[in-house]
Amino acid sequence: MLNSLSREIRFLGKDKGAVFWLALAFTLSVIAVSFGVSEVREQRETIATLLEEDALDRASALEGHEEWGSAAYYAFHFTYAPPSDFAFASMGQRDTAPWKHRVRMLALEGQIHEADTRNANFGLVGRFDFAFLAASVAPLLLILLLYDLRASERTARRHDLLVATAGASSRLWLPRAIVRVGALATLLLAPLWVASAIEGTGAGMSLQASAIVIGSLLVWWLIVELVSRINATPSVLLTSLIGLWLALAIVVPALSKFAIEAANPVPDGGEILLLQRETVNDAWDLPKEATMDPFVAEHPEYAEHAVIEETWAWNWYYAFQQVGDQAAAPLVQQYRDARVARDRQAQIAAFLSPTSFVERSFEKLAGTDALSMIAYEDAVRDFHEELRAFHYPLMFPEAPYDEELLEDLPAYAPPS
Amino acid sequence: MSAVTRIAREEWRLWLRSKVVIAAALIIAVLLAATSFLTIDRIASEQSQRLEQQIAAEQTFFAQPDRHPHRMVHYGHYAFRPPPPLAMFEPGVDAVTGQSIFLEGHRQNTAMFADTKAAADLGGFAALTPASLYQLLLPLLLIVLGHAMFLRERESGTLAVMLAQGQSGVTLAMGKAAALLGVIVIFMLPLIGVAAFSVSAGESALAAFTLVGGYFLYLCVWGAIVLAASVILKQRAVSLGVLIFAWLFAALIVPRFAINTSSAAIDAPGKIESDLVMLAEQRKLGDGHNAADPAFQQLQAQVLEEYEVETIEELPINWRGVVASYSEAELTDLLNSYTEERMGLEASQSRMFDLFGVASPTIAISSASRTLAGTDLATHHRFLREAETLRFDFVQALNQAHAEQLDYTVDINRSNDAASSQRARINAASWQVLNEFRFEPDSADERLARSGLTLGILLGWLIFAGGVVVFAARRVKI
Repeated sequence: MLNSLSREIRFLGKDKGAVFWLALAFTLSVIAVSFGVSEVREQRETIATLLEEDALDRASALEGHEEWGSAAYYAFHFTYAPPSDFAFASMGQRDTAPWKHRVRMLALEGQIHEADTRNANFGLVGRFDFAFLAASVAPLLLILLLYDLRASERTARRHDLLVATAGASSRLWLPRAIVRVGALATLLLAPLWVASAIEGTGAGMSLQASAIVIGSLLVWWLIVELVSRINATPSVLLTSLIGLWLALAIVVPALSKFAIEAANPVPDGGEILLLQRETVNDAWDLPKEATMDPFVAEHPEYAEHAVIEETWAWNWYYAFQQVGDQAAAPLVQQYRDARVARDRQAQIAAFLSPTSFVERSFEKLAGTDALSMIAYEDAVRDFHEELRAFHYPLMFPEAPYDEELLEDLPAYAPPS
Repeated sequence: MSAVTRIAREEWRLWLRSKVVIAAALIIAVLLAATSFLTIDRIASEQSQRLEQQIAAEQTFFAQPDRHPHRMVHYGHYAFRPPPPLAMFEPGVDAVTGQSIFLEGHRQNTAMFADTKAAADLGGFAALTPASLYQLLLPLLLIVLGHAMFLRERESGTLAVMLAQGQSGVTLAMGKAAALLGVIVIFMLPLIGVAAFSVSAGESALAAFTLVGGYFLYLCVWGAIVLAASVILKQRAVSLGVLIFAWLFAALIVPRFAINTSSAAIDAPGKIESDLVMLAEQRKLGDGHNAADPAFQQLQAQVLEEYEVETIEELPINWRGVVASYSEAELTDLLNSYTEERMGLEASQSRMFDLFGVASPTIAISSASRTLAGTDLATHHRFLREAETLRFDFVQALNQAHAEQLDYTVDINRSNDAASSQRARINAASWQVLNEFRFEPDSADERLARSGLTLGILLGWLIFAGGVVVFAARRVKI
């Protein structure tokens, strides 16, 4: 076996076509990971700058207040989801879903759906990241490397002679294919390993990623192997294989996506906003109890201080902000549930398409999948909850304003 | 019958006998039909839904009761962007940007609830549209049909016979080109149908049929590339391999590479980033809610002088309304300068992306297609600008009502008791200041002008690839 492997390696070096595809795979991999690494760095720098600016802005916004309510009104807090140490390999949803916000103690539903995303073309076309390379381009390269193993020998009229000389045909084709698949996998993965080392990605993560790439290449190898047993000309084989690639990489995902989205409608996001806004604004003209009753239902601990005598009071103002969120909560939950359900079903559908499977697996490893983005939103919700928990005891009843207490303002911690 | 048509007919006869060709063509036709119907249906329902939402938003605004005018500034309003008719073919960036935006005083919000945020994630190709089928799949069909069309004659030895009979290589190539052109024309029919339908839905015929022309140009470019490979290369498998590589490069690699490059080369700060930079400046302007802010001292002196009075209480207008109006104008200027800068940077990123069309006709057609359909980034930016104008106009109209219709003393005493709060309101008839907002696509001329560069690049591609075909066909020997 070792003999035949080293023989095939020598042959491979002389096959210009094969060398070209392998060199292309390596070059593309280097390009993909270097863009990825620089993008992740840029995002980290952005976050670092924003954290600094945000602290400065909050410090100045918190100056010179006399009431807790007005301090909370002016103080914004930066929330963000940092890119993971593997995000360089797959930017995933980070290009279309927001991963940074500035929130304050007003109704959260009016703030959390803001989308500070980048140029819309990025999300539309997508990036050339490693996940895309491994999921979509690598199978095509594998097809181009393997489709004419047998057929080219047939065309050269050596096929039968070779098979007869080798005895068992597996002794001939297997080493040849192993060398090519192995070379492709190594050349694709080498840049990823280097980048992982630079970025400090955990070894477990790199191993899982490598296993996914190798597994997907093996699946495609199997497909090519089965198809190329058909006794047909190389161009018919290649045509059929490209057809299969199209079916698995484009048609199946598109059909699954359509079916999943039709089966799990999401509520119109605009309705969430509308409901929240109407509730908040109506509160001004309603009797104070209309706000304070649902508020106390959520926070019975403030029942004693929930009778508002004044025409206007900060605690009443924040109470109706919260009631606005409460009114929208069922719709928000529905929206979130539909997103989770869609993602769960997409996970199942991805088993039908190796390309979807690889992209999704990479996004999951990199923490750039839909669930990670939802986890970030949950973290923002938790933080907002903490902000309320910090301020409410100071407002119900109104405590004397003490600037020093603001040092204990909750700090946002990104989801890990 | 001329030699060219005879050759073309012969080619068609062969295709019609080939199961692979028939199967491939049928699959693509079915896919085209299915995605077209689904997309048309989706866009039509989105269109009517957004228009309804826009009208509903206007009516709820008008229906608000008597209030303090500043309350209406914060009550706010919505702007919706209905998809243009051609979005049924090319939905473009609409899925990524979100199509509704909340408008209120002192803030410029972003467009929210992009479809992609809640989409089932199945990788980069799952969002199939009729446009992406034309951009990605039809070139592949042309490759499958045409990669061997010329060199087959060489393989079977008929090339020698034909050349000996006095046919030139160019005539032969023209015959093959005519055959491919026939395929292209047939596959243009669904697009022509969609274009005609969009015209009946109110689209300009000029824009719709320029879009058809653009795709025709695009497919001809691929036809020429395929034919060139088939003339130049000597083996079927090699020709197919080279063409598949060209497709892989042009359709999959270069577009995403262009995104990486334009994102890395031009750093467009996000909204939060530019907001924070701006906030430092904004603090100098003062807070519009607090009329006693020192930043307004100068304004106060000026206004008092203008009305020849000593104190703000003596002014015939409400000082708080004046302040609100003044600071909204200042703030909006500032916000707009940052927004314009951000949009300018994004536009230059897109321009850089478009220039990659020189390396990939797929980029050229996809940009031209979005522009002509009115679903490109520039149209989204115009939506943001128009929504901002709408916002500024109604906020300022409310601030004016605040200054003119509400007495200053009544206003500052509004929180004393329930009765004072009732007095500090103005008549709901004042809410009629809100303008009707109906977002319209750019005029056909503007879209045409904007797609000039990318269509020009496509034309350049056709001239180049066609030139290669003619050059190679002239030198054909046995």
